[in-house]
Amino acid sequence: METSSSLSFLLTIPLLAMVISWVIPKALQRLYAIFGSALILGLTVYETAGILFSATSEAAKVFFVDQRLEWVSELGMSVGFRLDGVSAWFLILSALTTLVAFSTRGSWYRKQPRLFVSMGFFLLFALNSAFLATDLITFYLSYEAVFIPMIFMVGVWGENQKASAVFRFFLMSFAGSILMLVAMFQIMSMHHAATGQWSSHLADIMKVVPNAPVESLLWPCVGFFLAFAIKVPLVPFHGWLKEVYVNAPMPGTIWMSAILSKLGVVGVIRFVIPLFPAVIKEYQGPLLAVSAVSVIYAALLAIRSSEGKTLLAYSSISHLGFVMLGLFSLSAEGSNAGVLLSVGHAVTSAMLFFLLHQVEERSGNVDLSTSKGLASNYPTLFSGLFIAVLASVSLPGTLNFGGEFLVLLNAYRASALCTILAATGVILGAVYMLRFFQKLGLGTPGSANHADVALKKDLSFADLLMVILLVGIVIYGGINPGIFMKG
Amino acid sequence: MNEVIQTLMPWLILAAGILVTLLVSVIRVESKRPAQFSALATLILTGTSAIQTLALPGEAVFAGSIEISSLSRILLALFSLIGILFIMGGDRYLTKERIHLSDYYHLLLIMILGAGVMVAAKDLVVLFIALEVMSLPAYTLAGFRRSDSRSNEAAIKYFVLGGAVGAVFLLGAAFIFGATGSTQFPAIYAWSRQPATAGNLLFAAGHFLVLVAFLFKVAAAPFHFWKPDVYEGAPTPVTGVMSTLVAVASFVTLVRLVHLPALDTSGWESYLSAVKGTVRALAVISLLVGSLVIITQKNLKRLFAYSSISQSGYLMLGVLASLNPGQGISQVLVYLFGYVFAAVGLFVLLAQSEPRGDTGVELVDLTGLVKKSPLRTALWSVLLFSMAGMPFTVGFFTKYFIFLSSVGTGEAPLVILAALCAVVSAYAYLRPIGLMVMREADPGAAQWSGGFWSQFVVIVSVILVVFLGLMPNAMIQYLKGIPLIH
Repeated sequence: METSSSLSFLLTIPLLAMVISWVIPKALQRLYAIFGSALILGLTVYETAGILFSATSEAAKVFFVDQRLEWVSELGMSVGFRLDGVSAWFLILSALTTLVAFSTRGSWYRKQPRLFVSMGFFLLFALNSAFLATDLITFYLSYEAVFIPMIFMVGVWGENQKASAVFRFFLMSFAGSILMLVAMFQIMSMHHAATGQWSSHLADIMKVVPNAPVESLLWPCVGFFLAFAIKVPLVPFHGWLKEVYVNAPMPGTIWMSAILSKLGVVGVIRFVIPLFPAVIKEYQGPLLAVSAVSVIYAALLAIRSSEGKTLLAYSSISHLGFVMLGLFSLSAEGSNAGVLLSVGHAVTSAMLFFLLHQVEERSGNVDLSTSKGLASNYPTLFSGLFIAVLASVSLPGTLNFGGEFLVLLNAYRASALCTILAATGVILGAVYMLRFFQKLGLGTPGSANHADVALKKDLSFADLLMVILLVGIVIYGGINPGIFMKG
Repeated sequence: MNEVIQTLMPWLILAAGILVTLLVSVIRVESKRPAQFSALATLILTGTSAIQTLALPGEAVFAGSIEISSLSRILLALFSLIGILFIMGGDRYLTKERIHLSDYYHLLLIMILGAGVMVAAKDLVVLFIALEVMSLPAYTLAGFRRSDSRSNEAAIKYFVLGGAVGAVFLLGAAFIFGATGSTQFPAIYAWSRQPATAGNLLFAAGHFLVLVAFLFKVAAAPFHFWKPDVYEGAPTPVTGVMSTLVAVASFVTLVRLVHLPALDTSGWESYLSAVKGTVRALAVISLLVGSLVIITQKNLKRLFAYSSISQSGYLMLGVLASLNPGQGISQVLVYLFGYVFAAVGLFVLLAQSEPRGDTGVELVDLTGLVKKSPLRTALWSVLLFSMAGMPFTVGFFTKYFIFLSSVGTGEAPLVILAALCAVVSAYAYLRPIGLMVMREADPGAAQWSGGFWSQFVVIVSVILVVFLGLMPNAMIQYLKGIPLIH
C-alpha cells in the first residue's frame, strides 16, 4: 500500500463508482450510493493507514507518495499528486462527507437519482484530485471541476431561489478562481524568467518563487489569497454563502460546509504559505485580524439568525475563522492545529447538517421561532444532535476542543490581541449553539402544525449507525487528538 | 531557375490545378463531379507537397518579393486541408441549396492560392495582389445563393468593404513607399533601424493605414460591423471558409505587418507604445463586443460571427505579447490552428440542417436534437466545448497559451478581463448544448441530415480537437520553432 499505485487507485475508484452508477436501477441508487461511498471510505482508510497510524511523523514519511507526469511540457503543464499527512486526512474526510451526504433522503433520490449519485461520485473524484495536487494546473483544473457537480446540486435539486443561488455561487467562485489562475500564470512566468523553463509543478516553482523580491510577489499572493478567502469564506467575502447554503439541497450543504470549504484551507497550507512566506509574514497582522473578525462577526450573525440552516452556515464561517487563525500563526504547530480543527469541523458540521436534515424531514421546517419541543418526540435523534452541538461548542473531550485549544495557544504567540478577540468567539459559539438546541428541542411540544409529527418515527437504525460512527470519531479524536497531529 | 520551381512547387501545383479545374468543368457542363475531383486532387497534391518541403530552409524568390519559409509552407498545408474538408463537407449542402456548380470549386482554389501567396509575400505590392486574389472569389462565393436577398446583401457588403480595405491598404502602402523608398519588407525593416528615421511621421501614418485595412479584414471591433451580415448571408460552407481560411491568412498577415518596422530599436519607443496602446484598446473592445453581444444571438451563423469577433480579441492579446522583446508569434499561430480545427467541424455541422425557407439556422432548430441524433449532439458538444475553452479540448490550451504569454509580459489586468469575457461567452456556447439535451424538440425545428462525407469531416475535426486537447505538445513545439519573418 506504499506503492504509487495507491494514488491512482484513490483517484480512479470514485470515477469507477460514477460510471457504475449509470447502470444501477433508479430504485437501488440510494443503496448503491451509500454502500459505494462506505466502501470507498474503507479503502481510503486502508490505503492511508500507513501514514495515519505510524507512531511518529518520521515513520509516516515512509508512506508518502509523490507522483509526477509530464503533460504539456511546452506550456509547463504537468500532472502532480502527493499523498502525505495532510492530504491523507482530507481524502478520508471527503469520503466520509460523501457517505453522510448520500445517507440523506429527499427529492434528489426521486428526481433524476442517477444524475445525483454520479455527480456525487464525480465530486468526490474532483475533491480528491484537488487535495492531492502538487501541481498548479492540476490543482486549478480539479478546483474548477468541483463546481460542475455543485452547480447541478443547487440548480437541479435546490430550493426556492435556486437560480439566483447558482448564479451567485458561480460568480463568486469563478471570480476567485480567475484571480488564482492569473496569479499562477504570474508565478509561472517568474519561474520561466529565472530558469528559461516553463513549469507548473510546486517542486520547481518552490525553487524560485519564495526567494523572489517581496514586491513582485504581492499581487500573485493576493490572487491566491482572494480565491481561498472566498472559498473558505473569510468575513468580507462571505456574501454568497447564506443564500447558497440555504437554497442548496441538504447533501449539497453538507458537502459545501464540511469539505468544499477545506479546499480553501488546503490551498492556504499548500500554496499560499509555502510560496509567499515573506508576503504572508509581512501581512501576518492583518491576516490574523481578518481571521479573528471572521470568528466574531459570523458568530454574531449566527446569534441573530432564526433559521436552523442559516445558523449552522454562519457557525461554519466562525469555526473556519479559527482554522485560518491557526494557519496564519505561521508555526508548524499552528498549522497542524488548523488541520486538526478542520477535521473536527468537517465531522461535526456533517453531523449537524445530517441531523438537521432528519429534523427537517420530520417537522417540515427548521424555523427556530416556530419549532419547539421536538426532543420529546424523537429522543434518539435529539440525543445525537445534543452531542453534535456539544462537539461544535468544543467541549473538552470532543475533537474540536483539541484543535481550538491548540490554535489559540499558537496564535497567542503571534498576536495576543487577535487571539483574545477570537477566544470570545468560543463563548458566542456556546450562546448560539445552545440556543439552537433549546429552540428546536426543548419546551412543550404541540402547536397545530405538529399534529402529524408524532406519527413519524425516531431515527432509523441505519441513520443511527451513521450517527454512532460520527459520534465515535468525535469522541475518539477528542480523547486521542495525537493521531491527527503528525502532518 | 530549376531551384525556384522546386521551391515554389506547392504553389505552382495549386496554380496549375486551378486551370485544370476550370478546363474540366467546361468539358462536361452538366456535371460538377470532374471539377470537384480535380479540386480535391489539386489540394491533396498541394498539401502533401507543402508538407514534404517543410523541413527545407526558407528561400526568397522573385527578387525577394516572396519568401517561401516554414511558416508559409505550413499555412499553405493548413489552407489545403481547410479546402479539402469544406469540399467534402459542403457537397450535400450545395446540392440541397441548388447551388452546386463547377465554378464553386475553382473559385475556392483561387481563394486558397491568394491566401497562400499572401502569407508568403514580402513585398507590399505582391501582398496587395494576393489580397485581391483571395478576396474577389470570396465576394462571388458570398453571393452564390443568387435567389436569396440576404446572400446578395452579403456579397455587396463584403465587396464594398473589400474595396475600401484595398483602397486604404494602397494608400498606406504608398505612404510607406514615400517614406522608405521601398515596398519590400527587408528594405523597410533595414530602413527603420537607421537612427535618422526613428519615429518618421509619414511612415507611421502609412503603417497605421495598412494595419487598419487588415483590422477590417479580421473584424477586430470596432471594425466588425460587416461580419454578422456577411456570415449570415453567405452559403454556410463559404462562411466556414471565410471564418477559417480568410481569418488565418489575414491574421498572420496582420501580425507580420505589425512587425514591419523594427519597433524595438531606439527612437521608436513612443510609436511602439502607441501601437501597444491601440492593440490593447482593440483587444478590450473586441472582447467586450464579442462576448457580450454573442449572448443575445439566436441565429447560429450570427452567433459564430460574434464568436469570431471575440476570437480577434484573444488574438490581439497574442499580438500584444509578440510586441515585447524575446516573444514570438507562436501563441497566435497555436490559437489560430486550434480555432480552425474546431471551426471547420462547426460550420460543416451547421451545413447539415435542412433549409427552412427564409430564416437561417437558429438556436430553436437545435432543441431536442439528442433524441433525434445522439451522435450529432455529441459532436456539437465537443466542438462547442472547445470554443468555450473547456479543458481536454484544444480550445483550452490555445486560450491558456495566449493568457500565459500575456501575463508573462505584464498584462495581468487585461488577462483578468479576457478570462471574465471567456466565462461570459461560455454561456453562449453552452446554451445550445442545454437546448439539445434538456429541451423537447420544438415543432418548427429543422431536420438534420449529413450524409457520409459531411459526418466524416465533422468526426475528423472532433478527433483533432480532442487529440490536441489531450496531447498538444507536439503541435505547440513545432509552431514555437517557426520564426517571425521580417
